[in-house]
Amino acid sequence: MSVHLSAIGLEKSYRKGKIQVPVLRGVDLEVEHGELVAIVGASGSGKSTLLHVLGLLDGPDAGSVQLSGERIDNLSEHRRDVLRNRTFGFIFQFYHLLPELSALENVMAPLMIRHGVRAYLAQRKMIRKEATALLERVGLGHRLTHRPAELSGGEMQRAAIARALAGSPEFLLADEPTGNLDAATGQSVLELLRDLNRERGLTMMLVTHDAHIAAQTDRTVRLAEGRIEEWATVLA
Amino acid sequence: MYKYLLCWRYLRTRYIALASIISVTLGVATMIVVNSVMAGFSEQMRDRLHGVLSDITIDSHRSEGFRNPDEVMALVRESVGDRVEAMAAAIETPGMATIHFNGENYTRPVQIMGIEPEERAKTGDFAQYLVDEKERRMPPSFHVGRDLKMKAPAARFLDPNEKDPFQDVINNDVNFQVPDFGAITGWSVASVHRPDVNKDIFIAPRGAKIILSFVTAAREPKPASDSFAVVAFSKTGMSEYDSTHVYVPLKRLQQLRGMGDGEGRGAVNQIQLKVRKGEDLSKMALTLGEALTRKWPLVFEVRTWEQKQGPLLAAVAVEQSILNILLFFIIAVAGFGILAIFSMIVVEKTRDIGVLKALGASTSGVRGIFLGYGLSLGIVGSGVGMLGGLLFVWNINAIEKWLSKVTGRKVFDDAIYYFPEIPTKVEWFTVAWIVGGALTIAVLASIWPAHRASKLHPVRALRFE
Ligand SMILES: Nc1ncnc2c1ncn2[C@@H]1O[C@H](COP(=O)(O)OP(=O)(O)O)[C@@H](O)[C@H]1O
Ligand SMILES: [Mg+2]
Repeated sequence: MSVHLSAIGLEKSYRKGKIQVPVLRGVDLEVEHGELVAIVGASGSGKSTLLHVLGLLDGPDAGSVQLSGERIDNLSEHRRDVLRNRTFGFIFQFYHLLPELSALENVMAPLMIRHGVRAYLAQRKMIRKEATALLERVGLGHRLTHRPAELSGGEMQRAAIARALAGSPEFLLADEPTGNLDAATGQSVLELLRDLNRERGLTMMLVTHDAHIAAQTDRTVRLAEGRIEEWATVLA
Repeated sequence: MYKYLLCWRYLRTRYIALASIISVTLGVATMIVVNSVMAGFSEQMRDRLHGVLSDITIDSHRSEGFRNPDEVMALVRESVGDRVEAMAAAIETPGMATIHFNGENYTRPVQIMGIEPEERAKTGDFAQYLVDEKERRMPPSFHVGRDLKMKAPAARFLDPNEKDPFQDVINNDVNFQVPDFGAITGWSVASVHRPDVNKDIFIAPRGAKIILSFVTAAREPKPASDSFAVVAFSKTGMSEYDSTHVYVPLKRLQQLRGMGDGEGRGAVNQIQLKVRKGEDLSKMALTLGEALTRKWPLVFEVRTWEQKQGPLLAAVAVEQSILNILLFFIIAVAGFGILAIFSMIVVEKTRDIGVLKALGASTSGVRGIFLGYGLSLGIVGSGVGMLGGLLFVWNINAIEKWLSKVTGRKVFDDAIYYFPEIPTKVEWFTVAWIVGGALTIAVLASIWPAHRASKLHPVRALRFE
């Protein structure tokens, strides 16, 4: 197995008024291809921040992020946009579907962002088919034209997962994907993610509070005091 | 691609934004209506001015005029050739008209025109405006017919069959009451408008006597006057003309003012020119002016009809542009409405903007969504405004009739404006400017909110509650 994504000495602090509040104080982490890693940690420990930095939504103050050995955090804005669009898939606690679009259109969104009008129109059928297949895969084949407001929490998170998968990313970043769902629904969402991880060889990092969920991943790391500590051993 | 989809969805789901463009719609519609009506009015007015004034007028401001109209006309022919289609000499002089009506004398200041009606008719629309009291067309002639003579109070004593010894005396009376020389008066010179019954009451109907007073053209002017029988009315629709113009036979006026012998060559102070279509009038007027001045310095002034009516036409143009500026402010105000509502929508959409960026949308892409949204709002707003404005213009007379019926009072009083209908003229160039301006304002108003949206930090946008 080779290293897919690695964080090297990541530091990030936020300014609160006049004082700097350090959130990440030198995070070192390596995730292998096809690995499913859970990140646990207290609320406010910087889990979301880490995910954002790894997914190029935010830049680190110091340290670097490497994708398959290549540094990516210092790329041009355009290259980072492209990486977010093609390489990473994001899943959020509150689903964050676009309310004006149907489930199907939400899933097609990354592909619409990827292609210009002409390219999109040329491949419209294929894109629709891919998005439909993804929604069917997450069990929402009967909800294609529903607006997010017409879906339940579990359904919204499944639609969000389908959206994250659209355009075949290599790496999924899930920020408390089950945090807003009841235990049973959360469990089924996790199972879906695990299946996808196995089926497609997708590398995944998921933030969770739930030890039960964390226990079902390949490896669990803990974020505390702005640093990573391996936790697998602790659990075992 | 997503830009267009989102634009379209925002357009269809954000009715509050549609509300903000209602003022764009109203502004565009109002501007189109106002401009079309003003263009219609000014076109009609120019038509009439032009018709009355002829293309180019050569004036002499000396009171005795000039004795050589034939030579002047020959010089005109020499310098511009057959580009002049017709010429007519005339005398124009200020004077006074006295009308006897109901036992009272009514006096009005008038502009007396000595003309040859047939010639005059060839240089402009003079003949087209001639009517009788019932607005039936009349020929361009000063002939006082038998029918008019019979309108004299004394005429009822005339007996066509019997050889009455007093026939001559009665005829004298008739000729005193209905003079031999005819006059064509402006419609409002001969009538009084009664707003209460909305009618023009004639104080000098056809056959009535009108006494014109003026000064002679001698070195020391003396008052002179003569009576004429009204034979027709000139109704141009320009109240300035209809309330002052009185036309009388040129030869008679020359004689009365001591400008000729009444038969052969006489002096005139004006020559009207009709020019071939498509000629540049001001250029020709300049050429003629130079040629005339070279031969007879300081005698003539050559002006096109537009130059003669310059201040009036300029006033209308100024009115129109001021109105346009004011109305454009409405659209500018609408622009600030769009700005405000757009900023609100950007705030409301903050999280979605973060999501779009997480999905790989670029800064320019996000900016494009909101610029496109502003443009679409502008297109909808000004499109609906244009449609509404044009429909209003095209049906303005039906609307006027309906409004008059509902409110019970005449909205557009044709007695005041002389037009049977509200004249309109849609100038597509103006419409394009108005719509283009509204679109520009809508886009300008969305630039700032769009820019702000595109600059949102994705993480901060995602964390936005
Ligand atoms: N934009 C910001 N400005 C200031 N502080 C922030 C900002 N974003 C996050 N923080 C702070 O950083 C810390 C880590 O936040 P976060 O990464 O969301 O933690 P977690 O996801 O583990 O709960 C928190 O203390 C939070 O208040
Ligand atoms: Mg968090």
